[in-house]
Amino acid sequence: MEQPRRITDSCPRRRRRRGPGRPPGRLKDKKDKDKVQVKVRDCPRSPSQPPPDAALLEMLRRFDLCWEYGPCTGITRLQRWERAQELGLSPPDPIRDALLEHRDNPEVTYRWVWGGM
Amino acid sequence: MFSEQAAPTAQGLLAPPSGEPPTFPRVPVSGYSDCSQPFQLGERSFSRQYAHIYAVRLAGMRPGLERRARSRWGSDVALRKLSELQAGEKCCVVGTLFKAMQLQPSILQEISEEHNLVPQPPLPKYIQPSDELILEDELQRIKLEGAIDVQRLVTGTIVAVYGSEQEDGKFLVEDHCFADLPPPLPWNGPSSDRFVLLASGLGLGSVSGEALLSTQLLVDVVTGQLGAEGEQSCAAHIARVILAGNLLSQNTQSRDTINKAKYLTKKTQAASVEAVKMLDEILLQLCTSVPVDVMPGEFDPTNYTLPQQPLHRCMLPLASAYATLRLVTNPYQANLDGVRFLGTSGQNISDIFKYSSMDDYLEILEWTLLAGHISPTAPDTLGCYPFYKSDPFILTECPHVYFCGNAPHFQSKLLQGKEGQRVLLVTVPDFSATQTACLVNLRDLTCQPITFSGFGADSED
Repeated sequence: MEQPRRITDSCPRRRRRRGPGRPPGRLKDKKDKDKVQVKVRDCPRSPSQPPPDAALLEMLRRFDLCWEYGPCTGITRLQRWERAQELGLSPPDPIRDALLEHRDNPEVTYRWVWGGM
Repeated sequence: MFSEQAAPTAQGLLAPPSGEPPTFPRVPVSGYSDCSQPFQLGERSFSRQYAHIYAVRLAGMRPGLERRARSRWGSDVALRKLSELQAGEKCCVVGTLFKAMQLQPSILQEISEEHNLVPQPPLPKYIQPSDELILEDELQRIKLEGAIDVQRLVTGTIVAVYGSEQEDGKFLVEDHCFADLPPPLPWNGPSSDRFVLLASGLGLGSVSGEALLSTQLLVDVVTGQLGAEGEQSCAAHIARVILAGNLLSQNTQSRDTINKAKYLTKKTQAASVEAVKMLDEILLQLCTSVPVDVMPGEFDPTNYTLPQQPLHRCMLPLASAYATLRLVTNPYQANLDGVRFLGTSGQNISDIFKYSSMDDYLEILEWTLLAGHISPTAPDTLGCYPFYKSDPFILTECPHVYFCGNAPHFQSKLLQGKEGQRVLLVTVPDFSATQTACLVNLRDLTCQPITFSGFGADSED
């Protein structure tokens, strides 16, 4: 999974030593940081890429459940497609195009998770 | 090799040293290429399950098995999946074998509180008459009975069975076949005598130092510092040395220090540190004279799962300064002078030995070649990396020399196949127990053992 991108990544990184009297990070600060990260992650996506629609996700889910191409857990959908291609099972090409078009979206690249497994 | 050429020149040992001692140039290294890239793991991810490796194993071996089934039982034999079976119809099914063994060590049974079991001590063989064979394909599984030897086969083998499904839901087998020998490689072997020395199980770091004299004699023979001119000229024909695993002894694996208190173990060093230093010195002597390939084994400091990665060169600072030292993976494949070598350090063969009724290491080695897979019991009972893309242990080409290390005795056999395959099967014995190494002649694919021994304090003479 790629690292969440922060606004501060564009600023030069400089090591800052803590002063002697600074207390360690408090729980309240950590919660705020998480919220900020979620907001920032959605912003810097290229504007030319529309979000995938439900029909595409349904087609990918059906690709996952096809038993001919082997197990679908633990590998990305693109890896599974390429493995099926090499074994000569001729998986359909539109799936590969869809996977490459939306390669930044983790819902598309990985199999459908239910309960986060 | 050594005996017939050594005897005439033995008198040279009693002569005074000559002004110009004769030199024997070693046969030049020509045509070496390493083919073990499939066994080298780059980035390792253990977040996958093992279902992938079984799926690609079946998918990769299915076309070959279907071809074999057609040639054996007629080209019109019905090839069915288990979900398409009809009771009473004679057909052929390709799938993976699973052997349900009562005595197979199971971690779930051990930690289950309701059974209240004491952990089972390791047994030499885990087979029982009550074992059953089950055939699995992509979706279903079915019990097998009939003309199939349950005791002999192991889990993970891809097999094609011919028979029919019975009323009680079991499959009655009339005949079965494996993938058989893979297609042959063209032969480009050398035209003159060229030898490769195979040794395994040096067992450094053991409590007794008796095998050290034999190890030093081996090094001296290979580097030409032993014997008269006849032996030295013979040793010059040794083009390469392959050490097939277990360079360290099992004694270096003791982990007693974990159970002791910290103050008792503060200054102790792991036994393997001293053993690796000894290994470095021995390899240094060998590498100055001959190219050496070092394969890791069961007790060596590298990862446990197959394929074992090469030993790190920082452990062997003196020897890795020489380019003749090659640290290679555990199943090792290479082209030496046009002859394809493929071999392991013996973990695959000894694992099959534990779960099958076959007793002879050479027989098991031949069976893995005929089954088309180096180690079918991985990942069930032998640790294996969770591959997902392809199974690198499937044999796609027939090697010319197929060896396994750390066998109890030396055995060799030349196997001829129907499509012109010629394979030399060699079981390399454990050097620390038998003091025997093997010399393979690349010109005519013959193999002879060479034994080193010294006179002990309690032997006559």
